[in-house]
Amino acid sequence: MKKKLTQIAGSSKQLYLLLMMIFMSSLINAQVTISGKVKTSENFGGSSISVIIINSSFGASTDANGAYTISTNLKPGKYTMEFSGISLKTKTAELNVSSGINNYTVDIILADDVLGLDEVVVTGTSQGTTKKQLGSYVSTVKADQLNKGATGNVLAALQGKTAGAQITQNSGDPAGGMSVRLRGISSINSSSEPLYIVDGIIVNNSTTRVTNTSGNYDGQNFVGTIGQNRMADINPADIERVEVLNGAAAAAIYGSRANAGVIQIFTKRGSSGAPVVNFTSNVMSSKLRKSVEVNQSPTKFGNAPDGPTAQTQDILTLAWTNTTPVTRYDYNDYIFQTAMGTDNTVSVSGGKDKTKYYTSASYFSNEGIIKNTDFRRFSFRSNIDQAINDKLSFTLGLNYINSASNEKPDGNSFFSPMNSINIIGNFHNIQTRDANGNIKVVGERQRANPVSVIEEIKQRQETSRILASTGLKWKPTRNLSFDYTMGIDNYSQNGTTLIPPFPYPVNTAFFGGGLSLDPAQNGYASIANNNYFQINNEINATYQARINDDIGSTTQVGYSLQYEKSNYSLLHGRGLPPIIETVSGASTSLPSADSRGELSISGVYLQQNFKFKNNLFVTGAVRVDGSSVFGANERSQVYLKGSGSYIVSGTEFWNKLSISKWWDLFKVRMAYGESGNLTGIGPYDRFNSYSSIGFLGRTSFFSSSTLANTNVKPERQTEIEFGTDLSFFESRVGVQFNYYVKNVKDLLINRVIAPTAGFSSLLDNFGSLENRGIELVLNLGVIRQKDFRWDVTGIYNQNRNKAVKIGQALTLLSTNGGAPVAILEGQPIGVFYGTFFATDPSGNQIKNTSGIPLTERGVQSSPLNYTTSRGAAGLPSGTVLRRVIGDPNPDYTASLVNELSYKKLSLRFQFDAVQGVDVFNADWRTRQGVGNGKVAEQEQRGQIPRGYILGVYGIEQWRMDDGSFVKLREFALSYDFGKVKNVFSGLILSISGRNLISFDNYKGYDPEVNAGGQSTILRGIDFGSVPIPKTFNIGIQAKF
Amino acid sequence: MLSKIKYKNWMLIAILAITISSCKKDYSDPNRAPSDKILASDRGLTGVSIGLQRVYSLGRASSLYNVISTNGFVTKELRLLNPGNLPEFQLSTGGIVVDGTNTMLAGLWTSSNKIIYDADLVITGASTLTDKGTASGLIGYASIFKALSIGNMAMFWEQVPASIGTNVSFITRLKGYESAIAVIDNALSAIATNPISASFASRIPAGIDIVNTLLALKARFLLFSGNYSLALSTANLVDLTKRSTMNFEAANPNPIYDVAGSNFNVYQPVDSTMGLLGSLQPDLSDKRVPFYMVLSGSSASRFLMKGFAIVTTTAYPVYYPGEITLIKAECFARQSSPDLVNALVELNKVVTKKAANDPLGVGADLPAMVGPFTQAALLDQIYSNRCIEMYMSGLKLEDMRRYGRPATERTRNFMPYPFRERDNNTNTPADPAG
Repeated sequence: MKKKLTQIAGSSKQLYLLLMMIFMSSLINAQVTISGKVKTSENFGGSSISVIIINSSFGASTDANGAYTISTNLKPGKYTMEFSGISLKTKTAELNVSSGINNYTVDIILADDVLGLDEVVVTGTSQGTTKKQLGSYVSTVKADQLNKGATGNVLAALQGKTAGAQITQNSGDPAGGMSVRLRGISSINSSSEPLYIVDGIIVNNSTTRVTNTSGNYDGQNFVGTIGQNRMADINPADIERVEVLNGAAAAAIYGSRANAGVIQIFTKRGSSGAPVVNFTSNVMSSKLRKSVEVNQSPTKFGNAPDGPTAQTQDILTLAWTNTTPVTRYDYNDYIFQTAMGTDNTVSVSGGKDKTKYYTSASYFSNEGIIKNTDFRRFSFRSNIDQAINDKLSFTLGLNYINSASNEKPDGNSFFSPMNSINIIGNFHNIQTRDANGNIKVVGERQRANPVSVIEEIKQRQETSRILASTGLKWKPTRNLSFDYTMGIDNYSQNGTTLIPPFPYPVNTAFFGGGLSLDPAQNGYASIANNNYFQINNEINATYQARINDDIGSTTQVGYSLQYEKSNYSLLHGRGLPPIIETVSGASTSLPSADSRGELSISGVYLQQNFKFKNNLFVTGAVRVDGSSVFGANERSQVYLKGSGSYIVSGTEFWNKLSISKWWDLFKVRMAYGESGNLTGIGPYDRFNSYSSIGFLGRTSFFSSSTLANTNVKPERQTEIEFGTDLSFFESRVGVQFNYYVKNVKDLLINRVIAPTAGFSSLLDNFGSLENRGIELVLNLGVIRQKDFRWDVTGIYNQNRNKAVKIGQALTLLSTNGGAPVAILEGQPIGVFYGTFFATDPSGNQIKNTSGIPLTERGVQSSPLNYTTSRGAAGLPSGTVLRRVIGDPNPDYTASLVNELSYKKLSLRFQFDAVQGVDVFNADWRTRQGVGNGKVAEQEQRGQIPRGYILGVYGIEQWRMDDGSFVKLREFALSYDFGKVKNVFSGLILSISGRNLISFDNYKGYDPEVNAGGQSTILRGIDFGSVPIPKTFNIGIQAKF
Repeated sequence: MLSKIKYKNWMLIAILAITISSCKKDYSDPNRAPSDKILASDRGLTGVSIGLQRVYSLGRASSLYNVISTNGFVTKELRLLNPGNLPEFQLSTGGIVVDGTNTMLAGLWTSSNKIIYDADLVITGASTLTDKGTASGLIGYASIFKALSIGNMAMFWEQVPASIGTNVSFITRLKGYESAIAVIDNALSAIATNPISASFASRIPAGIDIVNTLLALKARFLLFSGNYSLALSTANLVDLTKRSTMNFEAANPNPIYDVAGSNFNVYQPVDSTMGLLGSLQPDLSDKRVPFYMVLSGSSASRFLMKGFAIVTTTAYPVYYPGEITLIKAECFARQSSPDLVNALVELNKVVTKKAANDPLGVGADLPAMVGPFTQAALLDQIYSNRCIEMYMSGLKLEDMRRYGRPATERTRNFMPYPFRERDNNTNTPADPAG
């Protein structure tokens, strides 16, 4: 195959240059038209392939059929044309322009580039560079890989497709939050989410709660980040490719904000040619993948669960010794539904001469598997590229999004759908109504009836968003270019909540009216608004010079200015009359919230790159940044970067070796980078201030529970990465391997301090953390025949995270669901640290005379060291001991993708594995305590001692669960009809699925959820989270 | 060439525009007020002092909730309705089950120290004000919550922090009471020098009677310290016709009602014995029992709390006029030469008190007890009346220890120190055995 390609390239002068001669007047610059067709090795027309005439500023890209046309003025002479495209090996062709001939045809066939080394990536450079030149690892995910996964969320679509990333869907809600960790946790105090850039716009991905607003939702005892994050607004169908930069070594050019990596998204752009109408339509259906088994015991302890003598929570009340027969229900059948959805996008793209455009309109709508929840999104996009003349061009991108969802209270409350069924025994007939048609009370404990949650509580949030970008490119000379990019992200997010007054007594903590149905307390309404504005300006100048035949140089300087402003307001009240849905109807106004912030960041950089003989590349950069969130003395942060790569297989020496016959590529690379975290604290977090709130008709001031160091400085990350890219057997086997060490020093920790300091925590640069890991990507072209192709891609990531220094031995956080999340020196961030079962030397649980396991006791000499002690009858004695009982950081993550195609039929399936991870399964314990779980059944059936559950209820280890899983993440079968008569120029039908099967030993619904939402350190907590559904999708993609 | 220059200029203008609009980096916080400004103004200090009452009395993490609930469980005044409330479960079980993870104890510890920290700032800041009538009001008002916070820690822990700061040392609980009394004395002398201006009362929430509260708390802590003569003379200074309460409103509800009283999921009164045994139990006709609880009509809990947790807006007393009378009775009975006659006179004032004659509406309305009683018998009656008169006041654990009640009547003597303190302060004393 290689031989054949060489022939094609070698004979291109004869075979692929057709000259046509037309006599014309003797102009020095001839107006010439170069056109042709680019094919990929699969014999398909290659779309969006860049065609440029080297040493000029002329170029074009191919249309959907692979055709291109360049019309320009060229002096007669020899030119080199370069053809490059994603996942294709770049090739050049020679072009001889003779005077008097003004039409040329250059056709070419491009070969697959498994490792993507010839792909142009835009790692903060204005001109882009090929991966071949990079010293650091950058992965690219293309549209066709993104859009086969039956999801409307771009981050979900990225799951398992990029090395070094752990992408977690934290909630199964239709717009459920997503977490992305590139090479582990990069910060403790702030988000570890990467920086998102869409077409040059720094896109906000924050999680702001405009619903679930009151502290009552989570007992004011919460450090998580829960709810939708705003990447949910991006329509995956508009995306052409995603570049993922895992760490500082690659991302240092973004300096200030790239400490957790960068995800750059590029949307589709027009290409020259007749307008192409692309229509995709999908219908999807989602279901609960796995339910939990419920208690089937025919009896309970104590009285009947309803009525005037109701007694519930019998499991935990040992005084009740009588038993009562009960009917058992499975409330899962009530709260879950089969959800339907549609996803339709129509786009028109094309271009002529100097103008190219891409426009799209899309409507995505999907129900949640929890009844009465949904998400819908309208998105309109228009991308325009306009060349003003040979030297100046600009681009304009506009994206309007309106997304809205009907939600239910989030999991951390006991009036969320999941927790409303977790907190009651399964022996109430919840759907009966009283004579007036009102929902009835469940038990005697003032819980919310799940029917009230599903049918009465309404929460809705809506976001209107504009993403606008404009870019200007000016290339005054062949070697010098300037570009300017401005991006604006502006959205307003509005959320409303309605909890109508309950017709039965519900705890005031759940916004009920208590036993007395107090009308001043019963019911809740809220409205919250969040307005966000971000503008970023980047200006770059690039100078390219050819020092001699062997050495080329690229110099870049740039300046960046970013500004952000946000306003959040909340009005809420309780004590609602019936029917009224607005806050103004509330008889008790709760303290409103009005929170405003602004910040700015600016920076300059200089980057110098040298290349020698196209096989050795060296880059160095320096960047200076400052952020308003830090004090005046911390506003000149200097970040350095250096990288180098050497393509051993590109040397003459290598080509003489016999191994070069089967070993195509051998590249070694290393990169070093520093970056900061200039948004690591809130705009005003460095000040010690008093907040005010109304109290009894007066104003009260209170100091924060956190003491701040006003001279706090940004965290500083240094990352060193070594890697190699290998390919063998005519690119049939590709291997990419990275080893990295990522250190964060001056780590900001909001550290727990002794309350006798007058504060509960102190925010300062206390510590350092470390992530070490490897990433391995394996590409295998198992079968490459004309009609049959089979490709396998495997990704393996292993990251070891460690809190190196935190300024104290232990920081134990107060969390949702009672999870004992800790930061301990020498341990991974966010481990579960708590009480555990007493065991004998052979590991068996020590039980008291009643046969109930006991908490381990003894002497705790330090957080990680203890000695157990035994007292009377060999039972544990001394103080309660604590140790690390679980770790939510996985041992490794991996994915395996198989892509098969036979003629027009193709099949793709992807397994994702997350292994060696522990989940704090708070819900599972609650289900036993209230008597709807299987352990409760055993106790009621007398299979375990009465009092067993109460005995172990407080042992935190009892809530630890195995969160490891292997999921069939994606499955897609599609048939490409190609051109269908004169109606469709292309037609693809597909059936796909997502999260269809999970192999795990988890005791709950789904190990892949997190009640802490997008929180950095609260991971692996299952507390009322909606499980991730399995989704089936039928889709059609048509081109006209 | 011309066009080249034109575009060059154009670019230059663009670059300049950006550079000029360059980076403003000093934004002030519109949401919060800087400490130095707040603590230098009378209005700021007033707001901070009101904040002390808020931290003390509002919500499940407040001192009020934790003192009353912790004491209620430990002394068996309360019945836990749901062991799923783990900290409450620990305290009602007692013994070694109560540990440093207990969030109620941590909450009390944290809010107490937070209040002391901010009260110190108010007291220091107020002394620099030129308006001395406001200054003395601020000192008096803030000192109430500081003294209560020190006193609360001294009631539950064997040793209390000596001060606010890093790695603070600890002093015995009796020294704690001494320092609480010193805080009150400082406030009383500030007020004696510059009486609180008439307008100050309207600047803070209604309910608190500053001078009477300071005197009442001083008498309470003197009694706890065993200084009976000074306790008696201080108690005599308290105006028994006045009441002093922490008030609530629908948006800022009474935490005892809100967390426990409004439902059957946390706790309710144990029963009409109020957790007292044998002869100490309330008389069947004691009207204080129906004042503090009512039959619920539900099987979840036979009784529903009333008293100072009836609705969201029920005010909670800072001290009880009946408490002052009982302090007098106890001082007479315990002083170095016991005066049992006057002790009985004072006790009978409480025993015969009608609700209508008590500023808080607490009245046993029983016939007077007829002596003579032995000192021990009289003290038993005083103890019983304290437990009934000040049911769910948080004072019973201290009373049990002072009256030498058997350890079996309570689930713990003293509390373990919260892990938050132990993990971060090497001076934290060893936990008591039980």
